[in-house]
Amino acid sequence: MPEARRFELAMSPHVSATATTRRVMTDVSIALLPALAAAVYFFGFRVLLLTGLSVVAAVLAELLCLRFMKKPVNIVLDGSAVVTGILLAYNVPPGVPWWLPVLGSAFAIVVAKQAFGGLGNNIVNPALLGRAFLMASFPVLMTAGWWAPLANGPAGNDSWDQSGIPSADLLEADVITGATPLNLLKQTYTWDTGATEALEGGDSEGAEALRRKASGVRAMLSSEQTRLSLFLGRVGGCIGETSALMLVLGALYLFARKVLEPRLPLFYLGAVALFGWLFGGPGFFQGDPLFHLLSGGVILGGFFMVTDMVTTPVTKTGRIIFGVGAGLLTMVIRRWGGYPEGCSYSILLMNLATPLIDRYTKPLAFGEVKKND
Amino acid sequence: MSRERSFSGGTHPPGNKELSRSREIVRIPAPDTVTVSLCTHLGAPSTPVVKPGDTVTFGQVIGERNGFISLPTHSPVGGKVLSVGEAPMPHRRMGPAVVISVTDRQETPVFEPLPNWRNLQASLIIDRIRDAGVCGMGGACFPTFVKLSPPQGKKIDMLIINGVECEPYLTADHRLMLENPTDVIEGMNILAMVLGVKDPCIGIEVNKPDAITLLRNAGVRVVPLAVSYPQGAEKQLIDAVCGRKVPAGGLPLDIGVVVQNVGTCAAVAHAVRDGMPSVSRITTVSGRGVSNPGNFHCVVGTPVSVLVEAAGGYTPDAERLISGGPMMGMAMYTDEAPVTKGTSGVLVLSGSEVRDSAEGPCIRCGKCVDACPVNLCPSLIAKASEYGNWTMAKDYGALNCMACGTCSFVCPAGRYLVQYIKRAQNEIRAAARSGKGA
Repeated sequence: MPEARRFELAMSPHVSATATTRRVMTDVSIALLPALAAAVYFFGFRVLLLTGLSVVAAVLAELLCLRFMKKPVNIVLDGSAVVTGILLAYNVPPGVPWWLPVLGSAFAIVVAKQAFGGLGNNIVNPALLGRAFLMASFPVLMTAGWWAPLANGPAGNDSWDQSGIPSADLLEADVITGATPLNLLKQTYTWDTGATEALEGGDSEGAEALRRKASGVRAMLSSEQTRLSLFLGRVGGCIGETSALMLVLGALYLFARKVLEPRLPLFYLGAVALFGWLFGGPGFFQGDPLFHLLSGGVILGGFFMVTDMVTTPVTKTGRIIFGVGAGLLTMVIRRWGGYPEGCSYSILLMNLATPLIDRYTKPLAFGEVKKND
Repeated sequence: MSRERSFSGGTHPPGNKELSRSREIVRIPAPDTVTVSLCTHLGAPSTPVVKPGDTVTFGQVIGERNGFISLPTHSPVGGKVLSVGEAPMPHRRMGPAVVISVTDRQETPVFEPLPNWRNLQASLIIDRIRDAGVCGMGGACFPTFVKLSPPQGKKIDMLIINGVECEPYLTADHRLMLENPTDVIEGMNILAMVLGVKDPCIGIEVNKPDAITLLRNAGVRVVPLAVSYPQGAEKQLIDAVCGRKVPAGGLPLDIGVVVQNVGTCAAVAHAVRDGMPSVSRITTVSGRGVSNPGNFHCVVGTPVSVLVEAAGGYTPDAERLISGGPMMGMAMYTDEAPVTKGTSGVLVLSGSEVRDSAEGPCIRCGKCVDACPVNLCPSLIAKASEYGNWTMAKDYGALNCMACGTCSFVCPAGRYLVQYIKRAQNEIRAAARSGKGA
């Protein structure tokens, strides 16, 4: 009989699927690259510097935290800090000083992620909390740094011609105070309110003028040319959010790699379109769903931040609720909130609701019958 | 081509069945010494009734039934008892066993062959299946006669034969269906007669088209199933074949179904028609840690080392020895452990085949939730278990887990989800037993 041989014991299962956390994070980073290419094309090489600095800051901050907390430093190799660094940079305007994304990234990693126990334990999306921190601390820098696409410089009143958004005759020089399509949309809401107030005050002429301005800008925002610009990314905005085309390309890659599950992005985008149509226009059922989908951070958020695994529900029903809830909040903020864009805050708010959603959407086990209690 | 039936959830581990599926079953003669486990079936171990020095004959009872859910143990050889005591076992470190020095390899009927079983009473056949020590050959080793004796008032109207063999690498059932369909069909008919079921069927995954064709041509009702793990699990198989769902915490017979493995069918045929005790089985020896994978027929008690030698011996990078399949099988620390009635396979995996043992934090990706065939949230149960919150683990349905390993397989963080959940199950059950409630 052959001589006995000893083996090391191990727990089942003894084989595993090829996906690893590192693989997932690498795939997400790869999927974000096309948008970076678009940003370089539209805003110049400066965005590369900002994104690079942001990533380096995120990784260094993670290393320092791990070192300080006496955890194995090779945890940084899981790649999640890189993703946070890229996303943070994508959420700032191209004209911000170089230290702003660095600070944001460091805050994202140290406060939003590592202070809660590191990967898997953070409650809110680190990159979005980093952005919220920057918005609260440096509001002027964060809203004055818009660059017009292909202009390689700050957005001005005359830059819209180059931007691909047609200047309407109705637009007077002082009309454009904001440099992103969403800022313009926010203006129209203000004009609508102003028109109503003017009418109540008996100034029907002033009301009519405001109405015309508002509907003129709306017509411009919903024009084919604007849609094309939004789709390609030829508009003012944060570094990584403008090019729907490139972001969708990245998302398709993630779907193909089975990294993205479809419920979160589809229900989020669906909700934005639905509620955008419902109340994103001058009156009910008058909104332009396509404009709401393509503008601001919806595409970036929908495919890369609503889908953040750590901070969204694990249950199937929970993912639907999260997507719809974030979509609704995005539109509520856009329409009635203090900011022109509500994407990032809507996701942060829903992040906070995630544990609750998971708890109340516990699926019925196989063969289990719903109890009437 | 119509879409094959299946169940919801599940995953698709690489089959690796090509390593051994075309290898004909090779009969291995009993080695010089066999170590016969007294606890190969699920339930109480049988009580040894021989002592060292005793002479035993083929098929002699060496362990008697001990309680209702228990089976007798027969000697698979003629020879002399060397020792009665603890020996290394595939599914546990040590277990009760009888070691026999082999002198006679002759196999002759020990019961009266009953080729005319159709004319006999069902109870007589059930007794035979029990006395021959037949248990579930798919790996669970549940005493077969128990499944054939439904409690009063339960009507069985469906018999599903399990030819799924969803564990990667394993091809023993596949080869059995191809090489010995007569015994499988005979056993299926005996079981159908005993249960009073008119139209039994066999569920086979479409990765075994030759077996599907062969059995169909033999007049058997075959239900082809889409390939998905764990389709061979009883409740998932029933769902896939007929859409009935076994209630949580219930048994197949609660919805009038009995499931039996193809290997069990063959064992039933041998016991009833041929009067043979259940003392041997077909097992797959595979993995890239053996030189020449194959399928072997051997008596229980044959040391795993003998099987490995029959499969060409270890390759230089043999790293892990497993009893069963790679998803639910148990790692063995020694190849001295013997084949038991439930050893559906012996795998020797090379370093490149085994998973990375490092465990990362849960990234809440939800892959386990999507894949769980029982519709649980493994990641949440595991987290509750990790923090000792047994109440929450129970609330999330920990007790419904059948430990199929699908969640751990798909987990990108490599978490030992099954073990966390098993731990919770043990704690919840212990608390329930001690009356405190969980």
